[in-house]
Amino acid sequence: MKMRKILAGILSMAMTAGLLAGCGGAAPADTAAPAADTGAATEEAAAPATDGDVQEISFMIWDDLEASEDLITKGYKESVDRFNADFAGKYHCTPITTNLEEYYDKLNALVAAGDTPDVFIASPGANLNDYAMTGVAAKLDDYLDADGWKQTFTSDAVFAGGTYGDEGGDGPGIYAIPLNIAAACVFYNTEMFEDAGAAVPKTFSELLDTCQKLQDKGYTPITISAGTAWCLSMVAGYLCDRNGLNLQDIKDHKTDWKDEKVIKAGEQLQELSQYFQKTAAGDDNDVATAAFYNGEAAILIQGSWAIGQINGSCAEGFADKVGVFAFPAVDGSSADPNRVIAKSDSLCMSAATQYPDAAIQLIKYFVDDTASKYTAEIGGKIPVTSVQYDESIAPPELKYVMDVFKNASSTFGFYNESLADTEAGSTFDNCFVEIFKGEDPETALDPIEDYYEMNVWE
Amino acid sequence: MDKLMRNKKAIILFIAPALILFTAVLFIPVCKAVYYSLCNYKINYQPKYIGFKNYVMLFTKDKTMAIAFKNSIFFMIFSIVTQLIFGLILAALLTNIKKGRNLFKNIYYLPCVLSSAALGLLWMFVFMPRLGINQMMASLGWIEDCTMGPEWLFNTDGFIILPIWVISFVALWQYVGQSMMLYMAQISGISMDIYEASYIDGCSKKQSFFYITLPLIKPMVATAMSLNAIGSLKFFDLIYNMIPEGFLSHKADVIATHLYTQAFKFSKLGYGSAIGVILLILCLIMTVIINKFVKTESYDM
Repeated sequence: MKMRKILAGILSMAMTAGLLAGCGGAAPADTAAPAADTGAATEEAAAPATDGDVQEISFMIWDDLEASEDLITKGYKESVDRFNADFAGKYHCTPITTNLEEYYDKLNALVAAGDTPDVFIASPGANLNDYAMTGVAAKLDDYLDADGWKQTFTSDAVFAGGTYGDEGGDGPGIYAIPLNIAAACVFYNTEMFEDAGAAVPKTFSELLDTCQKLQDKGYTPITISAGTAWCLSMVAGYLCDRNGLNLQDIKDHKTDWKDEKVIKAGEQLQELSQYFQKTAAGDDNDVATAAFYNGEAAILIQGSWAIGQINGSCAEGFADKVGVFAFPAVDGSSADPNRVIAKSDSLCMSAATQYPDAAIQLIKYFVDDTASKYTAEIGGKIPVTSVQYDESIAPPELKYVMDVFKNASSTFGFYNESLADTEAGSTFDNCFVEIFKGEDPETALDPIEDYYEMNVWE
Repeated sequence: MDKLMRNKKAIILFIAPALILFTAVLFIPVCKAVYYSLCNYKINYQPKYIGFKNYVMLFTKDKTMAIAFKNSIFFMIFSIVTQLIFGLILAALLTNIKKGRNLFKNIYYLPCVLSSAALGLLWMFVFMPRLGINQMMASLGWIEDCTMGPEWLFNTDGFIILPIWVISFVALWQYVGQSMMLYMAQISGISMDIYEASYIDGCSKKQSFFYITLPLIKPMVATAMSLNAIGSLKFFDLIYNMIPEGFLSHKADVIATHLYTQAFKFSKLGYGSAIGVILLILCLIMTVIINKFVKTESYDM
């Protein structure tokens, strides 16, 4: 009996100890990352420490680093692997990955729980505001100014999306480091265009004519996702801009969402939607993009990150069939037709990180020469640093995107990321999905108008 | 036992673990949620008391809440009615067959133990425009090609939209096994003597079901209905996985998905808490209504 009690006591203690051990405990130290080229600033890497001194940092991103076919994501994985290899025994980064749709939900949950990842990716605009203006993301000016890091970037303009004035959580400054730039363009299948006798359109009416020619030839003119609402709202954003809408005027309530320019954009979207694939309402972004690189549709309106997706997923040689043009002007509109939607993936550092030096080193690995060359030569995105890359091996689409970018008079952000907050952006997306489905634009815009009445213009 | 019940220390000792756990993981969070529901509370900001503004907004301005409420109520009624009918039918059939009872019991119950998230994804693929059912319909020649088939998860026409009907049927498929098991447990507790006596009196199988089985399992009917009502009101995972976020402009939202969107996507923890409180009150009301209207009496079986 006594023996049984002792045994029970020992087992209980063992279980309790196991439970407590499960609660705490640092993540395992370095996990033998594959060796890779070290083009990064590795001066700090030379001093390995013992296992007990390894500084463990987390990095959160919106794609699966292990499974993704996206070439840009593969490049991010390479950067993490290089960092872990170069700083073995000193720093170690553990990625936290999730899919894009749930990324901000999960990041917000971690932030609310006081467990903000040391480094996390964010889109400039309403999403970044939630972290930069609330003290979640650290101000990075001191790190940028040290050892000439800032001078490696092409210009100060690349920091525009991550720069805040007095509203910044830690005062005016830069709160996010851009990794690359993508421009929203119109990708087209040159073989299909040639076969249909279609030319690259310069105006919206020419775009409709082109689509008609493609349709007459038996092709699906445009593949797009209305299921993933931001894809459709990207087109809506272009149409609003080409009709001359100024978002600042809406913010300042000089006009509203029932402005004739927005209504006209809605009507034009409905005109264009007759050329979308039949399943556009239910297709998600991946399915819609696949329809383009599988040769099922002639046109894909998408950000230039699609180059990495397309080239990572389709057979070799398809890239040679792809052409790129800027979103056309709207006939009769006096608005600048050379503005381009641009977007950058940006990295933030948690203001609460225990290891800022490790976090900054990791960020540097995402924009060092090796990473920036990869961005252009393999990923097909525009690098933000002054790196010299080999244009002859870069995806051919990148050159076309660069042409569009060079001819751009100015850039603007995705509408759903440029509005008052994330809910306003989501409401905007939903309004244009309803317009796409046939609702009268005047009525369909009620939710965004109501949202601004209640939350922005009050 | 009486001696034990007089020992206050023993009572406290036995109740304390459950009470502490209940207080820590349920009572305190519910109280905090009620408080936050009265605050303007966004992630990364301190909660600021605003009285009943969140509730006023919910009931007067929030159009998605109205849609979510409608869908949740439909979903609840559909679940209660269909699971009662099909659960009873399956239970009655399975208690009356001699061979294969356990096999069918396991088959019907299997979806209950599978992950709703995985099932949601699986059914989403089944109902996708280019896959599953539409592909099958096209290969059978019923439609020209798969893109011409019904938009199972994306049609937004009608008072109750097609995706809600589809998800309701999937939920019925997943959870009918649970109702069936509850009814079977109760039916198997009915003494065979009662049935034999009824057969001697000339009762048919159908009559014995309606006049013996049904009245005797009424307490379980009330329990199963309450469980169905609460389960369907807080239903989340299938919808969340079958209708990706952003699809359908929130027309397929139910109260729980609306709560999730507001609290976690838009970081409005105070507003999300208000939706949670409404959900809690609705669950309580439904439980009271069901227990009041489904009158149960105890029989010695």
